Amino acid sequence: MGTVLAMKINSWICAAAAMALVACGPLNEDTAASRIMGQATARIMGTPPPASTGLGITQEQVLANPGQFMRVNIRNFDQWDTMAQTGQNGRRVTWVNGNNISLTLQDGIMVATRGLPRDLMGAETAETRQAIRAGGGIAQRTHEYITDVDAISSELLQCRIASQGAEAIEMLHETHNSVRFEEKCAGEKLEFTNVYWVNARGTIIRSLQAVSPDAGYLQIDVF
Amino acid sequence: MRNALFGPAMVVIMTGGTAMAQPANPTYSLNGTPGLLEMPTAQSAAQGTFALTVSYVEGFGRTTLNFQVTDRLSLSLRYGFIDLYDDPTSQTLESEFARGFDLRYRLNDETAFLPSVAIGLQDFLTPGRLGAEYVVASKTVGDNLTVTAGLGWGGLATRNGFTNPFSGLQTRPAFDVAEPEGQLTSDQWFHGDAALFGGLEYQINDKWGVKAEYSSSAYPETPFKPAIKTDSPYNLGLTYRPAEGVQLGLGYLYGNSVAVSGSLSLNANNRPGMSGRESAPAPVNVRPANDRSWDQDAAPPHALRSALATLLEREGITVTQLAISGDTARLRYINTRYRSQAQAMGRAARMMTQVMPAAIEVFTLEPEAAGIPLSATTIRRSDLEQFENRPGAAEVVYQRADFGDADLAPGLTDLPAGTPAFAWGLGPYFTLIPAASGGSVTVDAGLSLRGVYRLQPNLVLSGAIGQSLINAAKKDPVPDSTPDIQNVRTDAVYYGDDGVPVLQNLALAYYARPGRDLYGRVSGGYLEPMFGGISAELLWKPVQSRLGLGIEVNYAAQRDTDMLFGFDEYDYDTVTGHVSAYYDFGNGYHTQLDVGRYLAGDWGATLSLDREFDNGVRVGGYVTQTDMAYTDFGDGSYNKGVRVTIPQDFLTGKATQSAFATTLQTQIGDGGARLAVDGRLYDLVRDAHTADLSDTWGRFWR
Repeated sequence: MGTVLAMKINSWICAAAAMALVACGPLNEDTAASRIMGQATARIMGTPPPASTGLGITQEQVLANPGQFMRVNIRNFDQWDTMAQTGQNGRRVTWVNGNNISLTLQDGIMVATRGLPRDLMGAETAETRQAIRAGGGIAQRTHEYITDVDAISSELLQCRIASQGAEAIEMLHETHNSVRFEEKCAGEKLEFTNVYWVNARGTIIRSLQAVSPDAGYLQIDVF
Repeated sequence: MRNALFGPAMVVIMTGGTAMAQPANPTYSLNGTPGLLEMPTAQSAAQGTFALTVSYVEGFGRTTLNFQVTDRLSLSLRYGFIDLYDDPTSQTLESEFARGFDLRYRLNDETAFLPSVAIGLQDFLTPGRLGAEYVVASKTVGDNLTVTAGLGWGGLATRNGFTNPFSGLQTRPAFDVAEPEGQLTSDQWFHGDAALFGGLEYQINDKWGVKAEYSSSAYPETPFKPAIKTDSPYNLGLTYRPAEGVQLGLGYLYGNSVAVSGSLSLNANNRPGMSGRESAPAPVNVRPANDRSWDQDAAPPHALRSALATLLEREGITVTQLAISGDTARLRYINTRYRSQAQAMGRAARMMTQVMPAAIEVFTLEPEAAGIPLSATTIRRSDLEQFENRPGAAEVVYQRADFGDADLAPGLTDLPAGTPAFAWGLGPYFTLIPAASGGSVTVDAGLSLRGVYRLQPNLVLSGAIGQSLINAAKKDPVPDSTPDIQNVRTDAVYYGDDGVPVLQNLALAYYARPGRDLYGRVSGGYLEPMFGGISAELLWKPVQSRLGLGIEVNYAAQRDTDMLFGFDEYDYDTVTGHVSAYYDFGNGYHTQLDVGRYLAGDWGATLSLDREFDNGVRVGGYVTQTDMAYTDFGDGSYNKGVRVTIPQDFLTGKATQSAFATTLQTQIGDGGARLAVDGRLYDLVRDAHTADLSDTWGRFWR
């Protein structure tokens, strides 16, 4: 069933996963290759229950596997999607959905996207995270984008982070206590306001973060 | 579930850039340049804007392609069908085909007090039936009103003309019918009487605008000039812009006629496909800090190759070879999906981090096309690990990469498993043949069945069979005005006009790397619709050099007009060839010079200049001058043309190497004609060399 589902999804990850399953069969001779490929595919896809892909995850599975999945709403498409972990580079974790849109977070703050109309190619956001931990403050961010002529444009943003007090939020029918933070950022060409809901342990459990003017905002729920 | 509290934060605002006070995009005139109705203004479109305008008023239909080359310089190419006064003027010649070029240069930017001023040449090549020159000033008043006043010469000074303010230029030479077409009309520029014109444009809102002008063109009865009757100098117009890049216009002209127009414009710097919508690449797989091992039993090289090939095939990248020695993995691959070789390279490198053992620190990436390697880019794996998703990542990887020629030692590789040796495609074709005689354009359109058979990676048999659907009628031969010159191109209209399937081409092409920085090609067979023969080419192009040098020699025989296998009808064969220099100026300008012998045996040179945007949009032109007499060439004098390429991903954002390309030739003559061979080397190799790689390096991490 997982294979059938995967075939419907036009993405190399799922197709590669399907092929990895096929490659495990007795007809396959190059077992070392299929093992290496299987390892790579598993790494890229994370290690969720093997028959499922990012798209086929139920709410129960999300809740039963804390840390494995995020739910993301790409506000411009107004569509909820489940994302699974696909890679980790230091403190930065990359997540991918069934449509092969990926999102990289560092301690809950978005540092890159891939597959959106105007991706965030890379970012430095550590000061924002520190300001949230400190209960508010100022931060400087750097964002990079691909221009319409395939160059990289870098935006330096000045941001102000402020707590807006306690707020109870509901995620998949469970209520969580949180403190709401708002971050107002402005640069030469860009202006946006991000919102973060931080739980008692200091984890960002929900956020609304700007990608770019063309891609809009993402709502990210962490479980 | 939706949280109402999200409301206020929903908009990411792009400030600066677009929000800064910039003049709104100007509207286009019936002539297809920024302007009023028939009168020009001093306005410019945004740099990099193409606009295609079609307009019609009784007796004059025209299509104009306008291109804003720089902030201030714009060029236009116009095709029209126009009624002309005959000689005597009591009769008219109906719907005569006319071509023309315009040029406009804006001298300054408008300020709070000063208008912008532009100088322009209209239809500046002979015969120049609309030939005119002008100096014009435009000033915006408030947000919505633009006032224009100008001084015109030639066609823009046929109403209430007065003595030329430039005393040395009092007389404008009369138009000489005998003069060959396509010459600069410089003896006329700014000569003769001058006249004033002017007008107003008011933009009611974002969509609707109105225009009114006082025209200095009265269209007097002059032989071979436009046969347009004017009852009034005032022209009125309405413009409607329902969407960005679309303009519809309605006008009332000359006090007696209704005019309609439509314009489509596109800015090459403003990509509708934005940054592209292709799916996410594999992330970098970071090695544990203490692990630099390789268990060769668990992961033998053949297994690594097989796994990498399978994973990269999903990315549209075909692996042809993988060699591992020491801490280096060398990957040779064919990019079948991405317009940007840098993007394919970035995806291949990231996938290598997923598959390669931790002991491998250096990746050498060798893109391949037509079975030959094109370049080698060497990247350190630890740089990928360190800089992934960091600001400046693209720049750092570029600076630290080594670019050089591919390693030619191992020789050519086997056909990659899984890639079918035979491929075919059925699609439409469309050809415009601007005939040399009669000044008309013939359209040939139909279906083409193409096939490609790869005998070896670098030995390819390709062919196409065409079935004409439009223009499948036998042409009556017209008298040959230049019997001494072989009709190498002017008989194009007779080719394949029987209405039966024809062999468009069928040729075998062999590619090789004869040495470092050298590329070779030999093609033989039915090379193109009108000629068959053998073509050999050698190109010298170091990977890091902006200069390339090439030589091509062809032996060609003219095919029969039935486009089957014969060469008997004309009994014409010739040796033709060129030495070529290619140079990338690095600022978006690209040039090519070809010097040699053309198909009709004439000797000469072709100079091409293209404006290339890094996103793949290209617009350019070329001129060919040979030792053939203008009179023998026909009424175009020499070969010249304009070409435009728009990549498909520019429009859709979907990763593909397809592009829409067209060449508008003003004339096809027998002079300056080149053999149309497929697969010339420079276009094959350039996108894998440093200059082109750096143009799109921003896509490395995409």
